[in-house]
Amino acid sequence: MGKTKVLIIDDEKLARDIVKKYLEENNNIELIGECSNGFEGIKCINELKPDLIFLDIQMPKLNGFEMLELLEHQPEIIFTTAFDEYAIKAFEVNATDYLLKPFPLNRFNEALNKAVEKITTNKATTNIYSDLLSTVNQNKESLDRVVVKTNQKIVIIAIDKINYIEAQDDYVMIHSELGKHLKKQTMKFYEEHLDTSTFFRVHRSYIVNINSVKQMELFEKESYKITMKDGSSVPVSRSGYSKIKELLK
Amino acid sequence: MINPFVKNVKSFSVYLLSWIFISLVHGSILYFVIDLFPIVCISDSVIYNFIFFTLGISFWYSTKFISFEAYSTVKIVTNHITAAFFTSAVWVLLGYWILTSLFAGDRIYLNFLFDSLVWRFFIGMLFYLIIVAVIYIIIYYGNFQEKVLREAELKALVKEAELKTLKYQINPHFIFNALNSISALTITEPNLAREMTINLSSFLRKTLSSNEVQINKLEEELNNAKLYMGIEKIRFGDKFTYTEEIGEGCCELEVPSMILQPIFENAIKHGVYESIEPVNIHFNCEEQLDYMKITITNNYDEESVPHKGEGIGITNIQSRLRMIYNQDNLLKFSKNDGLFTVTIFIPLEN
Repeated sequence: MGKTKVLIIDDEKLARDIVKKYLEENNNIELIGECSNGFEGIKCINELKPDLIFLDIQMPKLNGFEMLELLEHQPEIIFTTAFDEYAIKAFEVNATDYLLKPFPLNRFNEALNKAVEKITTNKATTNIYSDLLSTVNQNKESLDRVVVKTNQKIVIIAIDKINYIEAQDDYVMIHSELGKHLKKQTMKFYEEHLDTSTFFRVHRSYIVNINSVKQMELFEKESYKITMKDGSSVPVSRSGYSKIKELLK
Repeated sequence: MINPFVKNVKSFSVYLLSWIFISLVHGSILYFVIDLFPIVCISDSVIYNFIFFTLGISFWYSTKFISFEAYSTVKIVTNHITAAFFTSAVWVLLGYWILTSLFAGDRIYLNFLFDSLVWRFFIGMLFYLIIVAVIYIIIYYGNFQEKVLREAELKALVKEAELKTLKYQINPHFIFNALNSISALTITEPNLAREMTINLSSFLRKTLSSNEVQINKLEEELNNAKLYMGIEKIRFGDKFTYTEEIGEGCCELEVPSMILQPIFENAIKHGVYESIEPVNIHFNCEEQLDYMKITITNNYDEESVPHKGEGIGITNIQSRLRMIYNQDNLLKFSKNDGLFTVTIFIPLEN
């Protein structure tokens, strides 16, 4: 069986150096590359197909989590970061381990061995924590941007630029000032993670940004629609109507 | 509160002089208008006025308990009129008794004295009411001053508390990232690792201790910020540069402590952290009329999408400056052509 292929993604050279140094002590590891930001990371992962990545969270342009969202194939992940507040989120994306900078060699090896074992035994990467995580009463941090991939281009949309979000089967269509973008995500996710003072679920299939609403009018009897500032119109359900009427008063 | 008439030499003198003045008027009327002997005039004036002078001092003790807050106006008025009646009666009769025994043989004077008793009684009531009115004025003026003083004290307390919460706090991630860099350097470049450890220690020592002082020299503030930037420079290498232009008199300028640090930190956080291209931070300080103008500029990646919470640190400094100098608009910031600029104006004292 071949060596485990490893990629390091961190914007600081010194942080990459220490991982590199620690990796040198292991014979069955092959370091196939280093990336200094999320964009490079996506490119390298798609081209080099590593088995394992060491991933920093805070990086320019795309952070570690945003980068993962855009991957088609997810390798095993070990997060290396100075931020301890993302540990729960790291388990949500099924990371093997979470190393807090600065970390000692033995802790590093422990994480590495765990990852190698997972790769060699080829365990199905089912998220054993998902049940647990859903019961953890975590603070749902509100999003401040959304990343989407169209063709080969990565678009980062600031939340306040979003006009409305429309459900489309397993995907959502994000209508923003930057255009229309499809993303694999649930309406429930956005309902929970968008700022509830500006975003309202006015319909089973629609969440609107209240700042992009031009007007609400009677459509047919007992049924309303919203006209957005960009001219598009969005249907409103009865419960959505009472929510928005309360607000527009 | 203590009796204002005997509170200190000054107030007692004023009270005494008022009575001496009244005595002079009193004596003069007796001498010029009624045409009595000088010795009689002086005795009448001194005895009557001295008695009231003594009685007057005691009015304080009753008046301070009959406050407007605790009693109705009707009750206060009835109280004082009754008191005025009895006080005046005692005064007039006591004076009459002393003077009749002194000038037992002077028929003209005794007749005059007897006839003037009613007048003296009303004058006594008037004196009583005037003294009480003065006491009320003193009480209310004192309360008012005390209130103003207390309010000022309270304001100062609130201000201090607010300043404390606005104070700079070290970002723990900065420390952990710096320690991680040191950890890496110990393997490849031990000398640089040592230098970075020393820089980090100096920065922490200064930052932790300067949380106690409110005002510091610009030079020292800048040196501390440079320690911080030196550490970030080692982390980010060529991606981060720093330049400065310091005008005359800037180094000695007194500025609120830890006012520059968050701005530099902000520039690094939103400039260096979020950009792939090199970022330069430029510091400039120059005198401008009544102000010292401090400008910190950095380039940033225009395409980077801002994270939430941007600008909280800046508005924090804005309110700190407003509280310290009692002036608005001492901080401005702008985003233009990929340049983020923060300008601070420190008022110069002449």
